[in-house]
Amino acid sequence: MDQERIGGDGFAFEGNWRDYAPIAFTNLLLTIVTLGIYRFWATTRTRRYLWANTRFIDDRLEWTGTGRELFLGFLMVLVLIGIPFLFLQFGAQALVLQGHGGLAAILTLAAFVTIFYMVGLARFRALRYRLSRTWWHGIRGGSDDQGFGYGLSYLWKTAVGSLVLGLMIPWSMMSLWNERWNKMSFGPHMFQSAGNDGPTFRRFLLFYLFPIAAVVLGVVFAFAAAPMGGLQPGGNAGRLGAMVLVMGLFVLGIYAGLGLIALAFYAKFFREAVAGLSLTGLNFHFHARTKDWFLLFLGDIGLVIGTLGIGAIFLQYRHWKFFVTHMGATGTIYTDELTQSQTKTSRHGEGLLDALDVGAF
Amino acid sequence: MSDFRFWHYDGVTAVRRSVLLHPAGAGFVLEEPESGWIGAPTDWSDLTVVGTEGSRSAYGHSAIPGWRMGFSGEASPQIAAHLPRGERYGRWIDRFGFWQAAGAFTLVAALIVWGALEAPGVIAPLVPQSWENRMGDAMVGDFGGRFCHTPAGDAALQALVAQIDPHREARQVALANIPMVNAVTLPGGRIILFDGLLQQAGSPDEVAGVLGHELGHVRHRDTMTGLIRQLGLSVVLGGAGGNVGGYLNGVLAMSYGRDAESAADGVAIDRMGEARVSPAATAAFFERLGGKDDGTEARAMTWLSSHPLSADRRRRFAAAVKPGVPYRPALSQAQWQALRGSCAADPDVAKFWGRGL
Repeated sequence: MDQERIGGDGFAFEGNWRDYAPIAFTNLLLTIVTLGIYRFWATTRTRRYLWANTRFIDDRLEWTGTGRELFLGFLMVLVLIGIPFLFLQFGAQALVLQGHGGLAAILTLAAFVTIFYMVGLARFRALRYRLSRTWWHGIRGGSDDQGFGYGLSYLWKTAVGSLVLGLMIPWSMMSLWNERWNKMSFGPHMFQSAGNDGPTFRRFLLFYLFPIAAVVLGVVFAFAAAPMGGLQPGGNAGRLGAMVLVMGLFVLGIYAGLGLIALAFYAKFFREAVAGLSLTGLNFHFHARTKDWFLLFLGDIGLVIGTLGIGAIFLQYRHWKFFVTHMGATGTIYTDELTQSQTKTSRHGEGLLDALDVGAF
Repeated sequence: MSDFRFWHYDGVTAVRRSVLLHPAGAGFVLEEPESGWIGAPTDWSDLTVVGTEGSRSAYGHSAIPGWRMGFSGEASPQIAAHLPRGERYGRWIDRFGFWQAAGAFTLVAALIVWGALEAPGVIAPLVPQSWENRMGDAMVGDFGGRFCHTPAGDAALQALVAQIDPHREARQVALANIPMVNAVTLPGGRIILFDGLLQQAGSPDEVAGVLGHELGHVRHRDTMTGLIRQLGLSVVLGGAGGNVGGYLNGVLAMSYGRDAESAADGVAIDRMGEARVSPAATAAFFERLGGKDDGTEARAMTWLSSHPLSADRRRRFAAAVKPGVPYRPALSQAQWQALRGSCAADPDVAKFWGRGL
């Protein structure tokens, strides 16, 4: 009985949007009437529901984060970062007005670098926070790393990633993912992350191929259309209208094309990243393909537009469900060896992340 | 005791146990008959609610992280009587009830927003003028050397100020080498006219109108009010998070508000009347800036972007023209030319794009 062999996917989502709706609507109302302050408690209620309806093997997850600690984290960020930046903003304005533009530029650059560092730090700490509040079989995750080193890595790896026309971006993304997860643990076991960015590179190259293809296509089309335009009975006005229409479609096509490439790349990236992740005897997988991501976002857009925006309160639910239903695990876990995590837990939540508005996963 | 089974984790390992609950003293003991495992005695008062989701209930131990027990369905009444009740919306809201709490929050929120909008007007006059002056000086300094100075131009500006602001309510009125059709009042009672405004203006009377209006902002300390409002809103709306707060903040803080603008117009008309400068030209100036072919992009760079034009404003200036009053131009033709040429003639003035910006 101490050993669980995993059949099927390991993960399952057993929630239901009708059960979630009362939570979503009351969250919305309370968030509005409290000028946004309730959103910390709203997040907590949502996560409690989502986690409690996520089954891993034989039992459900459990979220023990509180709105209070998220709120404390927010206040901390407000005091530690918000107020200095407010002064900096006024200071830089004053410097520019007095003609010390160079100094103002240096200050602004320093502020930008600091913010960038904070984004990295925030990502790390948000993941740590979420793992430390996630329980399964009475055991939680966490990390003993504070994430300050990760912040530096984030800074330089992102900078390097943008070199050589951005060709290093897949490497920088994957290496940061690995670095983040290798510092995390669940119970006594460290996560091991060995995601490989190599297989994602072909799709990444599409970003470079697409503009070239678009230009070639555009030129070919222009040459093909030029003589035909002359034959149109509408004359000049008709030709102009057709040109504008074609140009509009062309621009729209470029945006849609780049969006699809981004989706295809990210789908592959996420599959590779999760496939590289393991926890002692467990290996994780993510099954969503580009089509699944596409349908997810198409559904999101339809939901939000169709409900004039109100449907946005269900996005978190939809994304979690998508995440869980496409998540899989194989291998063996020994519950008697899965002992309690000894990592420290902070009493404040993901304030930094919340303030900088970046995602954790 | 009954054979009602609970599931249990001890918080030490992930091993799941199926246990019976035996009441003991002020609490209970859990036992797994199959393995002979018996847990440590637990007080009912140590139990915390972890979650009640559908028919499933889970409880924790206040002192042992990860210690869990739970069940599906209904526990026997004897046990259920001891189990703590969970939170739903949060402790405060649960205590008052959802709708009562929502109503109370709405009231408080309305008070806070109203306070954030109204309080600056009350607080600003209480800020010592010397503080505001020092803050203004720190912020502006010498404006990066962009003030235009020529002997004749300075004299002309002084002549204009002497008429519109005889009591020297503004600490400084200066002309800046910036090609925007604009004028600003900065903290510390400083009025800065931009060269672009002078070039756009058809007569010194128009500039006198703008100067009078800005003087109104100085007199009513509207910049201080605006600063405090912006600070207050960014704190209050910081809670709303995301872009909504930012947009709302920007919209609310952008102008001093209709009442302040209207009051400033009143000061302008008043001062012009006393100086016997006709408000007619100012009305025409509004019409010229606001109307016709120049699009919104051009207007964004002008005085009107922060001083929204309404037909009422223009009419008010037009109506202030009193027949029979011997109006005279705000400046002589020579003075007006000297003032307008001041920035072009000053060899030392910093160019707008030259430094910093």
